[in-house]
Amino acid sequence: MAHVAYDIDPVEHRPALIEGDPDFHGITEAVARPVEWRPPWGWYAVLAASLSLLGLFGVSIAWLFWEGVGIWGNNVPVAWGWPIINFVFWVGIAHAGTLISAVLFLFRQRWRTSINRAAEAMTIFAVMCALIFPGIHIGRPWLPYWMLPLPNQMDMWPQFRSPLMWDVFAVSIYGTVSLIFWYVGLIPDLATIRDRARTRLRRIVYGIFALGWRGSFRQWLHYEKAYLLLAGLATPLVLSVHSVVSFDFATSQLPGWHTTIFPPYFDAGAIFSGLAMVVTLMVICRVVFKLEHVINPLHFDRMAKLMLLTGSLVGYAYSMEFFIAWYSGNLYELFVFINRATGPYAWAYWTMVSCNVIVPQFYWFKRLRTHMGFLFVSSILINVGMWFERFVIVVTSLHADFMPSSWDYFKPTFWDLATLAGSFGLFFTMFTLFVRFLPMVAMAEVKSVLPQAHVHNRPK
Amino acid sequence: MEHPHEVTLPAGAIEVPPSSRWRRLPAIAGAVGVGALALSFALGRSDGPQLYHSYLVAYLFGLSLALGGLFFVLLQYATRAGWSVVVRRLAEHVMATLPLFALLWLPIGLWGFDDVFHHWAHPPPDDPVLAWKEPYLNPGAFYVRAAVYFAVWTLLAVWFWRRSRRQDEEREPAITRRLQSLSAPALILFGLTLTYAAIDWIMSLDPHWFSTIFGVYVFAGSVVAILAFLILVALSLRGSGLLDGVLTWEHFHDLGKLLFAFVVFWAYIAFSQFMLIWYANIPEETEWFIHRWHHGWQYASIFLAAGHFGLPFLFLLPQEVKRSRAGLTFAASWLLFMHYVDLYWLVMPSLHHEHFHVDLLDLTCLIGVVSLVFAVFAYLLVRGKLVPVGDPRLAESMALEVL
Repeated sequence: MAHVAYDIDPVEHRPALIEGDPDFHGITEAVARPVEWRPPWGWYAVLAASLSLLGLFGVSIAWLFWEGVGIWGNNVPVAWGWPIINFVFWVGIAHAGTLISAVLFLFRQRWRTSINRAAEAMTIFAVMCALIFPGIHIGRPWLPYWMLPLPNQMDMWPQFRSPLMWDVFAVSIYGTVSLIFWYVGLIPDLATIRDRARTRLRRIVYGIFALGWRGSFRQWLHYEKAYLLLAGLATPLVLSVHSVVSFDFATSQLPGWHTTIFPPYFDAGAIFSGLAMVVTLMVICRVVFKLEHVINPLHFDRMAKLMLLTGSLVGYAYSMEFFIAWYSGNLYELFVFINRATGPYAWAYWTMVSCNVIVPQFYWFKRLRTHMGFLFVSSILINVGMWFERFVIVVTSLHADFMPSSWDYFKPTFWDLATLAGSFGLFFTMFTLFVRFLPMVAMAEVKSVLPQAHVHNRPK
Repeated sequence: MEHPHEVTLPAGAIEVPPSSRWRRLPAIAGAVGVGALALSFALGRSDGPQLYHSYLVAYLFGLSLALGGLFFVLLQYATRAGWSVVVRRLAEHVMATLPLFALLWLPIGLWGFDDVFHHWAHPPPDDPVLAWKEPYLNPGAFYVRAAVYFAVWTLLAVWFWRRSRRQDEEREPAITRRLQSLSAPALILFGLTLTYAAIDWIMSLDPHWFSTIFGVYVFAGSVVAILAFLILVALSLRGSGLLDGVLTWEHFHDLGKLLFAFVVFWAYIAFSQFMLIWYANIPEETEWFIHRWHHGWQYASIFLAAGHFGLPFLFLLPQEVKRSRAGLTFAASWLLFMHYVDLYWLVMPSLHHEHFHVDLLDLTCLIGVVSLVFAVFAYLLVRGKLVPVGDPRLAESMALEVL
């Protein structure tokens, strides 16, 4: 499957970002096709499977509300089990969208245009999955609004000194800004779908969401300004959200949690896992929806390089934690790390290290960075590793606490597994609907990076 | 997007003319540097601890610039950057001063060692923590590691500098290809050596203290410093009528944006380190910040937070500032000064626990080290092309349009 017929990394000139030299109309046709035609049977199969898992999610949550958090494996000493692991996992996945749309936009990485739309959509769905876990974990699920600083007759306020409270603000701001950013980017493309609509219903529905976009010069001027400003505002959020999530752990005094490198280390890991999820999804979508020329090996090469970078940064953090655990001379700190690597959870620790540090090292080779089969497998392994990273952080730091008589081996229950699997159901249901009803590539933006959009371009 | 390969470089813009004042700078700066260092060692004869701490801060200031230069060059190759080609040669010359730092390290490593590192070099016998750390913090390992750092830095700096210069003559795109493929492994070596050098030469001054983010903190400051330095040098070259039509306001705008970004990055790392230690409030960690929050040092701490983040953040935010000579000159000079304050704040409290103290030796050492570094930089600068004329992306860089 490794077929790169041309040099994707030349030094004499910049490579074409879209294969096959299509014209503007060709891009519109290719991107609008999945939205306007009957989807392939595989789409229905994926939707059915996702909906089944979503149903399982519903059942799990219903049973949880009926029975209480006792249905999970959470127990002393591991009082924070899979719910927080899944929360951090999904928030991490949510990082690639904004990185690709906002940070890479500010860095003028024009290759991002082929994948930013799908990555942003994925971000929003991942935030939805993430927010559910703390929402259902509060014990009294009918009172989630207590997390918000609402004036009330009891004069009761959230505890602003708690990092868990900062999470509420950080993640909900991130979700809101990501949603606005995604929607603003969608407007010109929604108008294209509206203009091409062949039924009245489509024209009305897409017309409402296109907000009367006509593509005039003045509208584009405002649009580009808004996009730049939103990118500027979203960029600090890429760093702040997972930093705040890391504070949940790092502000404590617990060995294995309290360490100063946590904020940038969590960020690197989040971007790492988010990119891996984008790669997993795009490897499939480009084939199913015949977008191989728009999302081509060049894009995977760039994403794999970013995964190599962030994976290596995560590796740096692992080694720095281990070194400082020894260097500090703090025996409790050192015990936690030796226990991680050699104790009862060594299997989880080495799964994490293999998937997160060793697997991305294969991306040193261009052949593997552009090999779709390898990318698919390795990106899934990376997300397995990133889930285990959160498992290692949460469980191994808690299971052997300060009182050896309470040490225990954490075991998840069936409902832990069902809830995690169910959250994938929600994610894939949303994503499956997205690729059917919205243009999964930002066609207006892709057109702007075609050679013929450049001022100095001469027709051949 | 295609770019024309051949560019016409404005004659006289890319080489320092024989009559230029830049030609006299190496000798002047060299003389000032030797003089200032001689004066420092003469003045500091009777006060070894003060002399070598002052010297260490000055040394770290120069070293962080040179390492920042190395990072800047490696980053441009690793990211296949086009915009920065006309700036890269300046950073290459800063990077090429790295071998000098092996020499400048000798006063610390040989004569000042006991004055600076005595906390762990001669630990009290009843200190179990330092006894535990002895496998890492011992003079033998310390010297071996220093030798490794200098070997890596010299090798990388000379290797990249030579090949970039060779491309001026040969105009061979293959050189760019080779440097690109080696830049990523080089960045890994850079990151590891910088981290452990920061632990050895700064963190170990307070040998009980530890922080996993420390290497990242020192890295963030170094990048702020090199960007500020590049902006100032480029502005003064433009002021001398050089690089006209080659290095434009578009490049300054981009450099200004990067400077802004790394000011924020530095603040993010500094905040992460401070907030987590403050919040958990564990004595073995807070001790380090307590030294920086008493006896006058608290004013330095506040000044650092405001001057290295608050003010430059607000100042650099508007677009016009990053495209104005006065605005950029002020921001870059101020941030270079604040970078020195940052290093001073890292090093000096371990000498002056009991009172905030600024010494004349701080100034003479700083002038000495910076002048010597600048002499080497200027010597290399006037002896070659000011931009990598053989780089295949030169035309793309010159055609940069940000707005």
